[in-house]
Amino acid sequence: MPEPALTRREVLKAAAAVGMASAWIPRDAAAQGTLASLAPEEPVDKTMQRLFGGRPIRDGASVINLDLPLIAEDGGNVAMSVEVKSPMTPQSYVKAIYVLSDKNPRPLNAKFNLTPACGQAYVATSLRLADTGDVRAVAEMQDGALVMVKRTVRVVVAGCAV
Amino acid sequence: MSALGEVRIRVPATIARGSVVRARALVIHPNERVERKAGKSVDRNYRFINRVVVNYAGQDIAEFDTSTSIGENPTFGFAFRASEPATLKVIFFDTHGGRFEGAVEVKPA
Repeated sequence: MPEPALTRREVLKAAAAVGMASAWIPRDAAAQGTLASLAPEEPVDKTMQRLFGGRPIRDGASVINLDLPLIAEDGGNVAMSVEVKSPMTPQSYVKAIYVLSDKNPRPLNAKFNLTPACGQAYVATSLRLADTGDVRAVAEMQDGALVMVKRTVRVVVAGCAV
Repeated sequence: MSALGEVRIRVPATIARGSVVRARALVIHPNERVERKAGKSVDRNYRFINRVVVNYAGQDIAEFDTSTSIGENPTFGFAFRASEPATLKVIFFDTHGGRFEGAVEVKPA
């Protein structure tokens, strides 16, 4: 399919968009994807220590619903959702949900920062999993209290180094 | 055809005013994974989505810090309280300075 030629207006709009984008990101855009800017390669215990220090983490089986397949055919794309049963009011809400995969070289998949305006502590995404192992979801309440659940996922084809 | 940076947002067809609804946002993006050679990570400037902002009625209601360990063409599900007719925006940022925005009008009945 031939590419449509760009008009002058489109070029200017694109240039403006690039300018806006760089203004939006305070960090140095040129080097954001290097290994140094990624989380370090480390065992999951070290990541937990780095994120939460020695803070106590309660078992969250009664409040967190972590939905994952038992067997993931493709580790490169594993559907995951987390729902924390919690009020979402300014007085009491889930501030953040961390998703970690024990067997990934960089265990932290994502950190989801939430606000009371979410109405519900629910997030979903597709994970890359390097190998069969536990996936954990840690919920941090607005007062800093932590709760965690784990689920084991069998990975058939690895999501490679992630 | 899907082009890099294309954003799609799905919300339920009917939304009751004041209810909590779930939405899903997708961005077409390679979300590169870290390459390995002989067991070691190759150092280069990988292109992946590292930040996602959800904005409803002009207010940032959620922000996600993401990494290479999210799948290609990342999708994110989240909830929000549809308190008023307003625009729901999801903005994706990548490590190469890319900013990809999608928007839908939320019209609670």
